[in-house]
Amino acid sequence: MVAAAAAFFPVTSSLPDSGGNKIGAGNANLGGLKSKHVSAGLQVKANAHAPPKINGTKVSTSVENYKHEDVLPSSQSSRTFINQLPDWSMLLAAITTIFLAAEKQWMMLDWKPRRSDMLIDPFGIGKIVQDGLVFSENFSIRSYEIGADRTASIDTIMNHLQETALNHVKTAGLLGDGFGSTPEMCKKNLIWVVARMQVVVDRYPTWGDVVHVETWVSASGKNGMRRDWLLRDYNTGEILTRASSVWVMMNKHTRKLSKIPEEVRGEIGSYFVESAPILEEDDRKLAKLDDSTADYIRSGLSPRWSDLDVNQHVNNVKYIGWILESAPQSILESHELCAMTLEYRRECGKDSVLQSLISVYDAGVGNLAQSGRIECQHLLRLEDGAEIVRGRTKWRPKPVNHFDIANQVPAGST
Amino acid sequence: MLKLPCNGVDRVHLMSQCGFMGRPTSFFTGRSSVKGFRSTKAYPVQAVASAKDGAVVNRVEADIGSLANRLRLGSLSEDGLSYKEKFIVRSYEVGINKTATVETVANLLQEVGCNHAQIVGFSTDGFATTTTMRKYHLIWVTARMHIEVYKYPAWSDVVEIETWCQAEGRAGTRRDFIIKDYATNEVIGRATSKWVMMNEDTRRLQKVSDDVRDEFLVYCPRELRLAIPEENSNCLKKIPKLGDPAHNSRLGLMPRRSDLDMNQHVNNVAYIGWVPESMPQEIIDSYELQSITLDYRRECQQNDIVDSLTSVEALEGAEVVPELKSTNGSGKAMDDKQERQQFLHLLRLSNEGLEINRGRTEWRKKAAR
Repeated sequence: MVAAAAAFFPVTSSLPDSGGNKIGAGNANLGGLKSKHVSAGLQVKANAHAPPKINGTKVSTSVENYKHEDVLPSSQSSRTFINQLPDWSMLLAAITTIFLAAEKQWMMLDWKPRRSDMLIDPFGIGKIVQDGLVFSENFSIRSYEIGADRTASIDTIMNHLQETALNHVKTAGLLGDGFGSTPEMCKKNLIWVVARMQVVVDRYPTWGDVVHVETWVSASGKNGMRRDWLLRDYNTGEILTRASSVWVMMNKHTRKLSKIPEEVRGEIGSYFVESAPILEEDDRKLAKLDDSTADYIRSGLSPRWSDLDVNQHVNNVKYIGWILESAPQSILESHELCAMTLEYRRECGKDSVLQSLISVYDAGVGNLAQSGRIECQHLLRLEDGAEIVRGRTKWRPKPVNHFDIANQVPAGST
Repeated sequence: MLKLPCNGVDRVHLMSQCGFMGRPTSFFTGRSSVKGFRSTKAYPVQAVASAKDGAVVNRVEADIGSLANRLRLGSLSEDGLSYKEKFIVRSYEVGINKTATVETVANLLQEVGCNHAQIVGFSTDGFATTTTMRKYHLIWVTARMHIEVYKYPAWSDVVEIETWCQAEGRAGTRRDFIIKDYATNEVIGRATSKWVMMNEDTRRLQKVSDDVRDEFLVYCPRELRLAIPEENSNCLKKIPKLGDPAHNSRLGLMPRRSDLDMNQHVNNVAYIGWVPESMPQEIIDSYELQSITLDYRRECQQNDIVDSLTSVEALEGAEVVPELKSTNGSGKAMDDKQERQQFLHLLRLSNEGLEINRGRTEWRKKAAR
């Protein structure tokens, strides 16, 4: 409670020990709170602090005014209380009333209480919830993450997925090397490599939205891992995006696929959730495009220094930007990406020069104003033909955006 | 000097006490073009302190408590003359050195400038203009950007950036930044940028008239406050054009869709990405970017092709090694035992060779890991 109130004005900061790592540690403590299931994946946590602060007769008179955000008087009222002869029945009644009121607040909170939850975690480190199996984190969308159509770009969404995945592993204490390799994996030179990714976007967040991301892992076959994400609008609880990815283990030197060794299974097995995939698997074969089957090809795509990770490999999320480079401007203007399936085949580095191929189905490109959904096939490859990523995307007409109408700042207004 | 009534200042205090201030309601409609902030025309500063600023305050107060604003970890200072915000470094903003890239730093500076402008009530169509500026069809254009980073933050570090702006001569404005590591309160970077006004129709630079100037001066510190006060700083030095031929080049760079703003212009941060493209690999491997200074000369559009050129520049007082001057393309002759290196850069349009940017970078040897 006090923590929540304090965090309300973090600029004057009484934040618990705000150092980079320390914030994480501080929140890990909060993560230890067992959550109540209000509905799938939703927790009420911050208010778990509330009852202990409730105190004495002083409070009983103000129970009707009790709001969960109030800082309740503590030591002062207890002194008052002690000086009076205790009336136990009154006290009992008071405490019961208070707990019932608190519980009622608790129940009503449903999605709302995230507010104080969020304020305790103002830097968005996130926390492990649901008995350590689900990791959740909140992001507010920054201005440079907005794409040309005024909403968060698909790159931004994918970046948030990556961030939460890494923070999950880190907060679970399993981060061996900063890439999601556990300590045992590091010893054996093993790394996780993403094989497949599926994303379905129901609504893109705009600037000012806060996105609540939850992620968890499951087994995928005998030697793979599946990581799922659920993204919701923090305010409304509305589902924004669902994503699912399949990972395989590979030896980082030999680049050969590997089984999950027993030691690694010991580390991560307990984190696997048994749950249905968040997305139905899109297992339609992804065709390989070539020069003759592609409608558009964009060549000469090359990585910049900022596209690279520590191993000087191109970050996976960058591929998506390149995949879309070959999409005709007309599609990007009238439609928005609503689903994407990617198969990762190969990595590339700084000196790679790539080509992005696209073929467009289900719509006449020249008649986009009339068309409904569009489906595209993609191939990202090196100039010598080596495949980097194959993909399929689905597009739907952009929702009518009242921003378009109100975009002008009227002269004379501020 | 100020034509505004003194209560302009009182209103500033009122607004700054709001802590997390709501966005002006018109913000949402304009935020749509937030990408416009990233263009050379965008952003900084300046409040709408016109006779209508009562209206500004009311509108702002109506929005207090909007969740995103409470979550945005930034606010105006007590005197209302500067703005501070905290940011956490995300994993995807970290580069080959396991630390934030200079593009990430530039993005955060843009974000904080953007948020400062909107919190003091500037136009929210992406151009951060005042009422009077719009009357005259004036927009802001970046003239120069200088960023110094002494210690790059790592993943999940929290940085706090303070920003403010002030007039610069008759024609320009500057926006300054101080970047601190929030945990240690250590200054890890500083930046300064210079902005001028351009007529958006004629695309010509224009001197600022008093009424335009005074409108925005209200939110600037009266006394000169420089993030980088040193007189010999690179942020003040002229950047000469590279000699021909350049020591290193990378030709045929293309803007990506994600580089573009609402107006289909390439945003400032993309240029910062192009400059090191012509740096020799050996420098990138063993050195870290200490500072970058860019003079903006021309806009770049989506279909332009860009060449990036680099030459070594002798540090003052250092001996110029003769071989370096005649080196063409390989950079092998560069002495990489030097603690510091300095380079001149040119970004130009491939077709006609017209200059887009001139730049200068300083590099320091990376600490051994």
